[in-house]
Order: sequence, then C-alpha cells, then structure tokens
Amino acid sequence: MKRLWLVVLLVLLPVHVHALTAVELMEQSQAAFLYPGQDFRVRIHMRLIAPGGQERVREMVMLRRNEGPPGGDQKYFIAFQRPADVKDMTLMVHKYPAQDDDRWLFVPAINMVRRIAAQDKRSSFVGSDFTYEDVSGRDVASDTHTLLGEEKVGEADCHKVKSTPNAGDVDYADRISWIDKRTFLPLKEEYYDLKGAVIRVFAAERVEVVAGIPTVVRRSMRNLQTGHRTEVEFSQVAYGIGIEDSLFSERFLRQPPRKWLD
Amino acid sequence: MRSPSLVAFSVDHPRLVVLVSVALSLLAMTQLGRITTDTNPKNMLPETSAVRVGNRQVEQTFRLYEDSIVVGVQSERGVLNQDTLGRILRITDAILQVDGVAARDVSAFSTITNVTAQDGTLHVGPLMPRVPETEAELAALRRQLFDNPLFVDRIISRDGKTAAIHVPLEAGANGKEVADALRRIISREEGGEQFFVAGDPVARDTFGAEMFKLMAVFAPIAGGVMLLIRYLMFRDLFLSFALMMDAMISIVWSMGLLIALGFPIHIMSSMSPVFLMAIATDSIHIFNEFYFRYRETRDKRAAIIATMAAVSRPVRYTALATAAGFAVLVFMSIVPVKVFGVMLAFGTFALRVLSFSFIPAMFTFVPEAHLAKVAGREDADTGWATRLLTGLASLGAGNPRVTAGLALVLLAAAGLGILRLTVNNNMVEWFAEDSTIRTADRVMNEALGGTSLGYLVLATGQDDAMKDPRAMRFMEGLQRHLEGLAVVGKTTSVVDYVKRINRVLHDDDPAFDTVPESAEAIGQYLFLFGMSAKPADLDNVVDYAYRQANITVQLTTWDARAMAEVMAAAADFRQRHSAELPVPVEIRPAGIAYFNLVWNEEVLWDMLKGFSLALVVVLAILVLNFRSLRWALVGYAPLLFTILIIYGAIGFAGKDFDMPVSVLSCLSLGMAVDFAIHFISRLRQRLAESGGLPAGWHRAPAPAPQLLAALVWTAARPGKGILRNAVLFSASFAVMMVAPLTPYITVGVFIVSMMLLSALLTVLLLPALVVLCRGWLFAHEKGLVRP
Repeated sequence: MKRLWLVVLLVLLPVHVHALTAVELMEQSQAAFLYPGQDFRVRIHMRLIAPGGQERVREMVMLRRNEGPPGGDQKYFIAFQRPADVKDMTLMVHKYPAQDDDRWLFVPAINMVRRIAAQDKRSSFVGSDFTYEDVSGRDVASDTHTLLGEEKVGEADCHKVKSTPNAGDVDYADRISWIDKRTFLPLKEEYYDLKGAVIRVFAAERVEVVAGIPTVVRRSMRNLQTGHRTEVEFSQVAYGIGIEDSLFSERFLRQPPRKWLD
Repeated sequence: MRSPSLVAFSVDHPRLVVLVSVALSLLAMTQLGRITTDTNPKNMLPETSAVRVGNRQVEQTFRLYEDSIVVGVQSERGVLNQDTLGRILRITDAILQVDGVAARDVSAFSTITNVTAQDGTLHVGPLMPRVPETEAELAALRRQLFDNPLFVDRIISRDGKTAAIHVPLEAGANGKEVADALRRIISREEGGEQFFVAGDPVARDTFGAEMFKLMAVFAPIAGGVMLLIRYLMFRDLFLSFALMMDAMISIVWSMGLLIALGFPIHIMSSMSPVFLMAIATDSIHIFNEFYFRYRETRDKRAAIIATMAAVSRPVRYTALATAAGFAVLVFMSIVPVKVFGVMLAFGTFALRVLSFSFIPAMFTFVPEAHLAKVAGREDADTGWATRLLTGLASLGAGNPRVTAGLALVLLAAAGLGILRLTVNNNMVEWFAEDSTIRTADRVMNEALGGTSLGYLVLATGQDDAMKDPRAMRFMEGLQRHLEGLAVVGKTTSVVDYVKRINRVLHDDDPAFDTVPESAEAIGQYLFLFGMSAKPADLDNVVDYAYRQANITVQLTTWDARAMAEVMAAAADFRQRHSAELPVPVEIRPAGIAYFNLVWNEEVLWDMLKGFSLALVVVLAILVLNFRSLRWALVGYAPLLFTILIIYGAIGFAGKDFDMPVSVLSCLSLGMAVDFAIHFISRLRQRLAESGGLPAGWHRAPAPAPQLLAALVWTAARPGKGILRNAVLFSASFAVMMVAPLTPYITVGVFIVSMMLLSALLTVLLLPALVVLCRGWLFAHEKGLVRP
C-alpha cells in the first residue's frame, strides 16, 4: 500500500511542480519587468508608425511607485511633453491588480482635472499599439499558465509559457511569452486570435542593466492585422530615487514638481 | 471573288468542310476547361487607374476600408428592448468571427466608442458592452444614443426602430460571400425583427455572380427559342440545327481563343454567347434566298451557288459592319471592353466564314424531295408577311413626302426626349424593385443616414493645420452645407468628436457643443480622445500630421451622380468661405461613391467614344459597299432614326442613360445597319438585273414604275429575310425581359425595339427616301440607268 502511494506521488509530483513553475515563472517575470525598485523614473519616447510610414511621436516622463510587494498596487504619474500642444497634460493611474484602475487626467487648456473611467484595460495606451495592461501589467491570476518548454530568443535561453485568459473579456485568445531564464524579462510575446493566427507581437529589443537591474530600454509592439507598430525607447532610467506618495495627487497633476520632470 | 469559290468548294466537299469545322471546335473546346472568371465589375477599371490609386492612398492615410456592408435590424416596437438588443449583440459577436470582416473596426452598439460624463467621471468605451438588465439601464442607453449626434442616423434611426451594424471588409474580400455569411447568421435569429443586409459590395459582387448564372440560363433558352422559330419559319429541323451549329461553333471558337490567350471571362465577355447567337441570325438571309432560288431552279447545287452569289455582297458587308462596330472597341481605354470587342469581332468574322462554307455544305445534306416540299411554301406573292411587307413599301414609296415628314416629326419628338436624358448609374437599381438587395438598401436608406459612403479629404500643406479652430469651423460649416443636399443623409468628421468632448468635459452642458476657441484645446481634446478610444476612431478622421482631415459623407442613394452633386457643393462652399481659412485647403473626393462616379463616367464615356467611332466606321463601310456617299447616307437613315428614337423614348420614360444603355448603343450600331445594307444592295442588284431605269426618268414628275416595282420586290423578297432576321433576333432577346436583373431587361427591351424599329424603318422609310431623293441618288449611277 505504501509503495502504491509512492508511485502515485511520483507520477503526480512532476506535473504538480510543473504547473507551479509556470505561475511562479510569470510572477517572477512580472516582478522583474514591472515592479523592480521601490520607485522608478523614465523618459519615454514613443513612435506610433502607420503601415504607410506616417509617424506620430509621443514623449513623456513616467514616474512609478510600488505600494506593496511585486504583484500589488502601484501608482503611475505621466507628464506628456510632446506633441507640443499636449505639453503639461498629465495622467495619473492608481493600479489595482484585481479591480479597475483609477485614472485622472489634467487638461491644461481648460485647466481641469477629470477622472477617467477605466472600463477597459485592453484599450490603447495614448493611441499606441500597447494597451494600458501592457504598460502596467496583467494580473497573473487572470490567466491559466502552461509551460510549453524552452526556446532560444536570439542568444538568450528562454522559458516558453502559454497564458490563456480565464474570462473571455479580452481581445485575444492566447498569449505565448518567452521569459529569459537569467533575467526573467519577457523577450518576446505573441498574441493569438480565436482562429489561431498571431495578431500582435511584442519584442524586447534592447536590455540594459541600470543600477544593477536589467531593464528593457527598447521595445516594440506590432499589430499584424493593421500593420501598425509602436516603438518605445527608454532614457534617463532611475530606480529608488525616493518619489513621495504625495506626488500622486490632484494638486501635483496640475503642477507637477519640476525636479522629477527635467 | 473569293467567297463564291469557297462556297463551290464547300458544296463539292461538304463532308470535309463539316469535319474541319467540328475538329476546330473540338480543339477550341479543350481550352474551355481552363476557364477563369472575374465577376468583379470594379475590375473594369484596372488597379492602376487614378481613382483606385487615389482611393487606396486615402484609405491608407485614414485607415479606411474600400468596402463595407451595413446590417440593419428593424422592429416596429423599436429596437431598444432587451430581446432585440440581445439579438443585436449576438449577431455582432458572430459577425466579428466571419472571414473577410475587419473585426476590429466593426461599428455596432457593442463596439462603437462612446464618450460620456457621469458624476464628474469621463467614460470612454464601448456604448453597450452588455445588454442592459434594468429599465434604468435601458433608459440610460436610450439617452446616450439619441444625445450623441455621432450615433443618430448611423447606428440608430431617429425613431428608434432601426439599428445598424457597419461591417468593413478586409481588402480583397468577396462582398457576396461575406453577405451570404451574414445572412446565415441573421437567419438563426427568430423574433419580431426584420433584418437587412445592404451596401455596394453586396450589390456589386452579387451582380457579378448573378450575371454569370443568368448567362448560363439565358444563353440556352435564347438558343432554344431561336431553334424553335427557325423551325417554324423553314420547317426543316436539320437546317434549323445547322444554323444553330453555326452560332455554337463561333461561340466555342471565340471562347476557346479568349481562354487560350489567358484572358479571364469578365462580366462583359460573359454576354458574348448571346450576342454571337443573335449576330448569327444574319445567315437567315441565305436561307431566305435559297428557298426562293430553289423554287425557281429546282437544282440544289445551282441554287446554293446562285444564292450565295446574290447575297454574298450584303452578307459580307453586314458582317464587316458588325465586326467593325465591335472592333472599334479596341480603341477604348477599358481593358475588358477591348477584350469583348475583339472577341465579338472575331466571332462575327468566324460566323461569316461559316456562312460561306459550313452552311452551304450542310445544305447539300438535305434531300431534294424535302427541299421541294418546304420551298413550295415560299412565295413572294402570297402570305400575310409578304402582304405586310409590300404594303409597307408601297405606302412609303407612294407617299414619300408624308412618310419622310412623319419620320422628321418623330425625330423632333425624339430630340425633345433626348434633352431629358440624364446620365447616371446605380448598381443597386440593377436589381429588381422587390429584390432582397434593393429592398434592404431602400429600407436602410429611408431609416438611416445612407449606405453609400463618399469621402471628402480636406488637405493642407501644413502640419497641425487641422487643429486650427478656423479650419474646424470651416469643416463644420461644410458639413452643414452638405447635409442640406437631398442626397446626403449624414456627415461625420473630427469636428464631431471635438465638439462631443468639449461638451462632455463641461459636464454635458449643451452650450459647449461647439468648436473650442483655441488650437491648444482642440489638440488636447483629440489627444484625450486618442488616449482611450479605438485608434481607428481618430485615424479615420485625421491624418497623423493633422495636415488632412476626412469628412465621411453618407449618401442615401447609390446614384453615381449623387457624389458629383456633393463635390460641386463642396467646391462651391470652399469658394465662398476660403477667406475664413488659415491656410489654403484642397478638397479631394474619395470612397466607393466616388469610385462609382468615376467608374460610371469612364465606362460610359468610353462607350460613347466607341459609339461615335462606330458611327463613322459604319458610314465608311456603307460608302465602301455602295461605292456612293449618297446611297450610304440614305442607308444610314434607318439606323440613325432607330437609335435616336430609342434614346428619345428612354428620355421620356425617365430612365437613366446608364452603363447597359451605353454598352448597347455601341454594340447595336453594327447590327442595326444590317437591314439597310441588305435592302439597298438587293434593290440595286434587282434594278441592274431587270435592265435598269429608262434614261431621263428622274426628270419626270412621277417616279418610274420600274423603280416602284423594284422597291416592292425588294421589300417582299430580301425584305422577308429582314423580317425573319428581326423576329428571330428579337425573340432571342425578348427572353431577357423576364430576367431578375434590370440591365438584362434593358438589353432585352433595347434590342427588341431596335430590331423591330430598324426593320420597319428599312421597309417603310427607305423606299420613301429612295423615291424622294431619286434624282440625287441615281445621278451618278450609270449602271442602273439605261443609256
């Protein structure tokens, strides 16, 4: 009888460990990709490129502060700098993994702060091919993760993980991620539609180590259905610079402190 | 002469001739398996044509779609109830899965972006993510729908009884296939609602497909009718078949050649079998004459040779005129029209070769006894047809002034009708009044802002020019101006979004439903909108650099000229208000409505060009045939009168001068002139054979009795051939008058009236004109006047 249990355990064990690993892997990846440092500051240069080659440029400074351990709440503060006519527009996001975000926007031309309902985390972030969720992260618990194996992306050894959303309220059917074994950063992601065709592809194109933290400083997202793509470049990356919680308030939305923006 | 010797050879070696014809046909048939079809009428203009290139550019700049279909849901009790909304949601979800549908940009209740403010919070998201569950939610939805000018007349009708789902198609998708898939989705829903699938791609692609199907049905029916009538006329099944084979062989040859050369069968060339069958009826003149000759000589071989000698010249020249009428199409700019022209010219040529070889050969197989029996019935002096023909000719020749005068009066009346002609084309109206497609279109156009989309692109040469409040107000004014036109149901532009956001940011205060005062505010509103809406929302209305803006104009009719009206109104508005603009603005049309306008004009004018060219060529052939400009002009009269009277009738009937009519005009010339060629050729032959007219006759006050006799004889004998030809030709095309597609009805009515009218005018008006102009006509005819 004891031996039988042992056999059962031996058969079940690897499967069990496997399943755990996929979720753990995604949690680690999220921590490495979206939560590093207690806080974070970056200048973002975004190019929105249409299939015909026309471009729109977005430039902004983004500040982030973690409110708890990786996977928990976060606060984001975004000050737009280009195009010229949106300079001084600011956006604040209080992100809660398990519920809708709170978002506020300051419109300088009419000197007005408006709350924006975040009905849809899958909507486009400032017109780019990234969604709000791509920028601030998707709750790991919203998907079922399966380890598909290992594969190289360029020179890097990666885990290949398939994530299937638990609820059908998203605009894709599956996502496959290639997670760097060393840094846990996602180097590539493919989004599939119901027919099994790839519709969106994310690529981490350059990773640099800043203050000991591997950071994706160039990334792109292409929409294969529309031929549209977005290229993002990070500069002036800084971690742990002591961004205070009081920054994330309506007062500072109207008049963000210069020290964080220049 | 080459042809009579070909005739002699064929009569002497009938089996060889038939064998060769059949062998060639079998060879051509081997090609038929490789047939490719192109049912898309759009391809009448090549991909590289200016309008298609321009449209593609606009589509790329604004991420628009070439084609879109509208699905309508209509309910007498209104669509804003849980049942119907649930159905709309289910249908929308199913539509998103259909191949060929650009799912990301489908506009429906559940997908369209809605900007609202509630308790100080700005909501940007789908209008109806789920079906409202309570009365309060329903009321909220109703309010949002009717409060927002971006929705009214687009996805909901003013009376709330009709909702629409706009379904853009991926490039290259087949409108009919997508429409069929949509109809399947709709048919799964049962309730009190009515569903409609409308839009140009549905009509266009369905038309293309239907046209091929109809051809497959009508060509055999027309053939059967011809066979039957031939049998009734000549009472010989074998010879009736022989004549049909004549047509079939030429069809197989020209189709085989076309396919072998690698051309796809286009909607135009799909009509060629029926045309070739009709053209083949000209060989009836051979039969007609043969029966008369056989009765006179009772020698089959001699009768065949004599027949061919008598009719060879007119038959060759009518063939030449017909072939030339088609061949001028080679000079057109539209490729499928060229192909069609060459194919029919070749087919006509093949028919004539067969007339001089295959048909005489087949005659030899008919037993003499049988011929004697049948020919016995042919008598130029008796029978109602003969009495009618001689009566008409005597009437014309006896009262030349009255006849010509009446014709002139008729012509003047036709002129009045022609002045009322409108050049227009409407593909949806190519379907029968009560067809699904036309009903859907009518219902949707009555309920909503229109299913036909045109674009007006306002282009400047300066970045951010479109964010200027002056440019915005100009655009707003232009939209209101356009909406004043009867053909415009609704317009949408970036201005509508800016006004909407201005209002929503100011707590939904209607006083702020305006264009803001500063470019900065406009820029920030649009940025805010672009931050949360679907990217396509903004992309559809402005380009990346804000140099260009796009106004979507919903037209309530597929009339090609509607877009011309919009363009004229826009140009007029620009001229009056250009001073209010910060930078010069150019207004460029685009979209499917514009394409239809250009398509219509290109094809139409190309056809009219061909028509004019054919008029000249046909006159030249008449001159060549008669070796006399005067006779050519007189021979021209029945043709000209026929065409003008038909045009006049079209004008009075209020029917548009559209694509089918212009195509027919061009094709009909070479066919309508045939009767005059036969009549004049045989008249002059008869005069020469019977010794000519007495010298100095035309100075006499009354026409010579010899001339009158010859006219009556011509009307009775070759005239009978003309009558038979006209009846046969008309009968085969009359079948088309019951077709479900209006262009076919047009073709049927047009050809039938053309044939009967030109036959009548040939037998009635020609004798009158010959008598009236006798002095002038015979002045140089040394051979026809006794020395």
